[in-house]
Amino acid sequence: MRNTTGALALGAGLLLLLPLAGLDPFLLDVLTSGFLLASYVGSWDIVGGVAGQISLGHALFFGTATYSCALLTSLAGWPFAAAAVAALLLSTGAAAVVGTMSARLKGPFIALLTLALGELAHEVMIGQTFFSPRGAYSWGGEGGVPVALPWDAPSPWAAYYGALLFLFVSAWGMRRIALSREGLIWTAISGSELTARASGVDVARHKRRAFVAAGLFAGAAGVGFAAYVGRATTTDLSLELSFQAATFAAIGGRGTIAGPVLAALILHALFQGAGVPPAARVFLYALALLLVLRFFPAGVAGALRERLRARKMISGGAIR
Amino acid sequence: MSDLLRAEGIEKSFGATRVLRGVSLSVGTAEVVGLFGPNGAGKTVMANVLSGLIFPDRGRILFDGKEITRLPMDVRFRAGLTRTFQIPGPYPTLTVMESVLVARLCGDPGGGGKERSLQECEGEVESVLLRTGLFAQRFWPAAKLSQGCLRRLEFARAISCRPKLVLLDEVFSALSAKDEAELAGLMRSLHEDDGISFLLISHNPLLLSEMCGRVVAIQDGRVAWGGEARRPASGPARGDRR
Repeated sequence: MRNTTGALALGAGLLLLLPLAGLDPFLLDVLTSGFLLASYVGSWDIVGGVAGQISLGHALFFGTATYSCALLTSLAGWPFAAAAVAALLLSTGAAAVVGTMSARLKGPFIALLTLALGELAHEVMIGQTFFSPRGAYSWGGEGGVPVALPWDAPSPWAAYYGALLFLFVSAWGMRRIALSREGLIWTAISGSELTARASGVDVARHKRRAFVAAGLFAGAAGVGFAAYVGRATTTDLSLELSFQAATFAAIGGRGTIAGPVLAALILHALFQGAGVPPAARVFLYALALLLVLRFFPAGVAGALRERLRARKMISGGAIR
Repeated sequence: MSDLLRAEGIEKSFGATRVLRGVSLSVGTAEVVGLFGPNGAGKTVMANVLSGLIFPDRGRILFDGKEITRLPMDVRFRAGLTRTFQIPGPYPTLTVMESVLVARLCGDPGGGGKERSLQECEGEVESVLLRTGLFAQRFWPAAKLSQGCLRRLEFARAISCRPKLVLLDEVFSALSAKDEAELAGLMRSLHEDDGISFLLISHNPLLLSEMCGRVVAIQDGRVAWGGEARRPASGPARGDRR
C-alpha cells in the first residue's frame, strides 16, 4: 500500500513539474485533454465499476454538459459561469433520468438502454442546426457549437495546471465516494443484487444514486472540456467516447477509480502524444484491452487490489 | 401465543404450473416452526413469497399485525423479517465484514430514517461475527469461504439487524456434522436468548423434529399436515453422530 501511495505521489510530482522542463505545446495540450478525459473515465467507473451497471452511453452526460455550455453561452448569451452551473445540473438531471429508467433493469439490458439513449442524443445533435442570435451564422451538425468564453486564448500553462487540479480534486472526490457507505452498498449491488435486496438494500434507489454521482462528475469533466476546447461537437456524445471509458476502465481495473483514471491518462498520452492516427489508436486500445484481460482479468489496479487483499487475509488487517 | 407471521390462502402459479394452492401457515412470537415437504413440494416458493422475493397471485400475508403481501424483500428485511438462501450468493469483491456491514447499514430498524455511518456499525458487526464464528475470517473475501462458513455468513447477514423472524431455507443441507451442530447451537441461542422466531424449511423430518416446536408439511402445493413436532424417543443429538 505504501509503495502504491509512493508511486502515485511520484507521478503527481512529475506531472506538476513537467511543464517547467520546457514541454512542447503539443504535448502540453495532449496532457491537458488527457487530464479531462481521465476524470471522465473515472466518472464511468463510479457507475460501471463500483456499482457494476455497465453503461455504454456515458458520453451522454459529458456531451450534455459541453452542449449546455455552448448553447447557453453562444445562443442564450449566458455568462460562462452560469452556463457551467446549469450544465452540471442538466448532466446530473440526465443521469437521474437514465438511472431511473435503468433502475429495474439488469446487466445487458442496462448496457442496451444506455447505448440507445447515448446514440439517440448523438444522432439528434448531428442533425440539429442552430442559428446564431445575430442571424449571420448557423451552428450544429458535426462541426458543433462554439462556447462563448470570458477569455480570448488561455495560456497553455494555466490550462494544464487548471485541468491537473481538476483531475486531482475530482479523482479524490470519486475515490472518497467509492470508499464511503454509499460506495460499499454500490459494490454489494454490483456483486449480487439478490443478496443486496435480502440485506435490506433498496436497489433501485441506490442504482439511481450511482448514475447521479457519475453524471455529476462526467458533467464536470464536460464543463472543463468545453472551457478548454471552446466548442461542443458531436464527438462529445459519440459512441467512441462511451466505449473509450469502458475500455480504459477494464484495462485499469473496474471499481478502483485510480486504475481507470491512470489507464486513460497513460494510454491517451502515449498514443496521442506519439501521433498515432485515430484508427490505429482504436486498434491499440483493443490490443491493450485483450492483453490486460488475458493476464489481469480484473484489470491492472484490480489485480493489485486482489494481491493486497490476499496479503491482508493472511495478516488479518483491514482492507478498505 | 400471538401470531408474528400469518400467511392465508397463498396461491402462486408459474404459467400453467400451480405451485402453491392455498397454503396457510403462521409463526408465533419466539416460536420455531418447521416447513417440511419433499423436493418440488413448493417450500422454497413459499419462502420466496413470505420473504417478498416474489408476490403471490392470491392470499395475504400479515407480519407483526401489518399486511405485507405486496412489500418487496428489502422493506420486509427492514421490518424485521429476514431470510437465508438455499444457495448462498456472496458478494465476490467484499470481505465477510463488509458483507454483513451492508445489511447492518441498510436494515437497521432503529435508524429512524437517518442513514448510519460505517464507523457506527463496525463494532456491532464485529459482535455479530463473533457470535456466528466468523470473527477470524472477517477480512477474508466472502467468495473464498467454505460452504460451512458461507452458511454462517448467511446467518450473520440475516441476524445482523436483530430481526423478529428469520426464514432459514435448507440452511443445514450439505454441511459437515460439526458445522451443522454449531449452526444448530447458534439458532437455539438466538431463539432462547434473543427471542427470535424461526421458520425452518427443510426436507429432513428428523432435523425438523429436533429443532422445531411445530411443523407444517406441504405436498403438491397444499398443506398436508400441521401439528406439534414429534421428537424421536431416543438417539444421539444432532451433530454428535461422529
